[in-house]
Amino acid sequence: MSKIYYNRRKFVKLSTTAAVGSAAVLSGISFPKEASGQNLASNKPLRLGFVGIGGRGSYHLNCALGMEGIEVPAICEVIPERLQQAKNWIEEAGLPTPKLYDKGVTDFRRLCETESLDAVICCTSWEWHAQVCLAAMNNDKHCVSEVPIVITPDEAWEIVETFEKTGKWATIGLEGFGQLALLNMIQKGLLGDIVHAETGYIHDLRRVKYDPEGEPWRLQHSIDRNGNLYPDHPMKKMLPAFDINHGDRIDFLVSMSSFGGLLAEYAGTWYKDENHPLTKTKFALGNYNASLIRTVNGKMITLIHDTSTPHPRENYRIQGTKGVFLGDNTASNIYIEGLSPMEHQWEPAAAYLKEYEHPIVKNYNPPPRRGGKIVGHGGGGRQTPMIWTRLVIVLRENKLPDWDVYDSVTSSAISPLTEASVANRGKTIDFPDFTKGKWKTNSRINLE
Amino acid sequence: MNKKYDRRNFVKLSTGTTISAANLSANTLPKETSAQTQTDIKPLRLGFVGIGGRGSYHLNCALGIEGVEVPALCELKPVRLYQAKRWVEAAGLPTPQLYDRGPTDFKRLCEEEDLDAIICCTPWEFHTPVCVAAMKNNKHAVSEVPVCITLEEAWELVETYESTGKWATIGLEGQGNLTLLNMVYKGLFGVVVHAEGGYVHDLRKVKFTPDEEPWRLQHSLDRNGNLYPDHPMARIMPLLDINRGDRFDYIQSMSSSSVMLNKYAELNYGKDTVYAKAKVSLGDMNASLIRTVNGKMVTLNHDTSTPHPREDFRLQGTKGIYLSDRGRGGGRIYLEGLSPEAHTWEPADKYLKEYAPPPVITPPRRGGNIEGHGGGGSKTPISWHRLVIALRENKLPDWDVYDSVTSGVIVPLSCASVANRSQAVDFPDFTKGKWKTRPRKVLG
Repeated sequence: MSKIYYNRRKFVKLSTTAAVGSAAVLSGISFPKEASGQNLASNKPLRLGFVGIGGRGSYHLNCALGMEGIEVPAICEVIPERLQQAKNWIEEAGLPTPKLYDKGVTDFRRLCETESLDAVICCTSWEWHAQVCLAAMNNDKHCVSEVPIVITPDEAWEIVETFEKTGKWATIGLEGFGQLALLNMIQKGLLGDIVHAETGYIHDLRRVKYDPEGEPWRLQHSIDRNGNLYPDHPMKKMLPAFDINHGDRIDFLVSMSSFGGLLAEYAGTWYKDENHPLTKTKFALGNYNASLIRTVNGKMITLIHDTSTPHPRENYRIQGTKGVFLGDNTASNIYIEGLSPMEHQWEPAAAYLKEYEHPIVKNYNPPPRRGGKIVGHGGGGRQTPMIWTRLVIVLRENKLPDWDVYDSVTSSAISPLTEASVANRGKTIDFPDFTKGKWKTNSRINLE
Repeated sequence: MNKKYDRRNFVKLSTGTTISAANLSANTLPKETSAQTQTDIKPLRLGFVGIGGRGSYHLNCALGIEGVEVPALCELKPVRLYQAKRWVEAAGLPTPQLYDRGPTDFKRLCEEEDLDAIICCTPWEFHTPVCVAAMKNNKHAVSEVPVCITLEEAWELVETYESTGKWATIGLEGQGNLTLLNMVYKGLFGVVVHAEGGYVHDLRKVKFTPDEEPWRLQHSLDRNGNLYPDHPMARIMPLLDINRGDRFDYIQSMSSSSVMLNKYAELNYGKDTVYAKAKVSLGDMNASLIRTVNGKMVTLNHDTSTPHPREDFRLQGTKGIYLSDRGRGGGRIYLEGLSPEAHTWEPADKYLKEYAPPPVITPPRRGGNIEGHGGGGSKTPISWHRLVIALRENKLPDWDVYDSVTSGVIVPLSCASVANRSQAVDFPDFTKGKWKTRPRKVLG
């Protein structure tokens, strides 16, 4: 399973400003509306197919099975034990036995062609996300993907075009929007206009990358690619805070990586063999990567990616014209000019976070979840996550998901664009306008 | 005040300029600083050029040190010049010669006076001209930061040093964080991977205080980049062995849009005033990424316009990480295999205490508390103590000319990158290959 199914040279050399080939035919297609409300009135069962049921797939399947009115008629997975376990869970939930798709890595296509479903939930290895989404959309199904939804700009454009042609969307909507109290604070103007954010994915994954049981495909990306390989988690906070694609858009980025080698070194530790072949492997990924991203309105993001050095998890910082927020896993801090008690001194952010708690969080009161604790990667809770409730609402009410197609591909496309910059001595890379101008008039993301 | 530099110079300048072979053989170049003794009691003769906030501070420091004389002072403003003169006399020293004939009178001072060194605390654009005038007239030059504001000036300082044997330095900037440096040297962090620092200091009020630094605002109107890299670089460069086994390879820099200075002027002086409407070049936030030839990285921030507490400092190595937590506590650390919990911070104070270098005892200071910008203390600062030793013993200052200009040129290089859509800009190798063999800085 370690073979990689994408062509690396393709996205490193790709022109990033490629215009869309054929004009999309928009007439005659009914497009969904933006998400809102929490009305779960409809009782028509929602039919979901699952493709890829590893750590995250198990988690999402578990979330889905805990909700009233959801059916899972089809599941697709290459590892027999996982497929069987998923089948058992579905049966235990009192649902009909699902159809199993187990004929290899492209069997998701047969699933998309054969089954009648509202949406596909895609939790495969990264290189299949876009392919699964496209197969679903082209077969009259929405698609909800784990991140990153694309790993090349070509895939990003293809997803946008397919949405515009079919009216079926692809989304990273189960990603959520991060710290919603912070988003609320920003949208209410507490920090003034946003000037700069520094954020990143700083998570020591050496152990995870050497876990063939969990994600056997993951290490290969670090061998082949150098850049920011995982932008979506930090961007989920920043994209709505910066009004990206909703009044502003990313203009260009530059990216830089440090020397690498910590992953090769770890192979010796992990396998207890200093001569293990992986200790001699040339890993493309630098130990530390930082990118500078600028919007056309002149806002800036410093985006970090470090999955190899020893560290606790990341902090993040958002600076506005009226103040600054410093997010910290232990205790966040804030400074608001004219409001904070001491000039140019931090104060704890807890009171502000409480005051600005987002209405959708305060008002979240889902029906009781069926079954016990949620299992899988990210599990542990006993309540249906809000992102799942919101997803079910948009599917039932034929609305757009919280992350629409444009926002979803914008977040993930950062990855190949940073690679293109790093490979060319930090060359400036123009960011494609996936919205083709609609960013100017798209209204601000407004979660209700 | 007119600008004395040409902005286009440093924005458009080629960064790979080489210089003609310098004639080194005829001069005795000084050695690196080490010892802490002050045995020689021959008076050290210092001239001061520019005696504003920082100049007052440095003059005050100097007057408190035994065996230092100040035979010459140069300053445009009579009030400041005569105050300095009174300080010199009050210290029991001979009345100094005063140079007050305009902004280029420092040249006459350098030509006429017999001095060991010049202390230069003028506006930024005069730093290099003062240093070069001193060096060409057989004097060392100690400058406030930045020592240069264009690449041409940087090369001029290097060439003048190599042809005269007289150095220019930002040595009073200090040696950075010696405790962290000690920890890096002892291998606690493994190999340094990345450092992040910056000058994040809300200077809106300072920039609009014409009594203090009337020339400072103009730089923000004219230039867009990192305008003040030296304070953070004083710490970062030694930690990364810059010019000593490694060197800066290239830099990318990005600025946000500029609104804060106009807003501040509008709020404080009205919306129809000059500065409320002025076109400000400097972006409110600037960030630069710098890569070394050995693959280490620096993230360097500059933000003097938005409301914020001061900056943090973060150092990531292959074995652990330090975070300063400035204004929020005593700093935190994580060292793999040493910290009690995996991937969990612990307070840094235990390590900072253990690895602190032995205290430097400076001789008793004459006079009371030190006045001027940075003052308040009643002891001679270590940087002054070490400068006096270097001058007395004919050794190199803590920041030699190569390190001083390397730190300073981040300004024009970052401006060049910002002007070209963050395009990568190559760093000149001021050491012309000597970085490969120059030894690591010695602690203490």
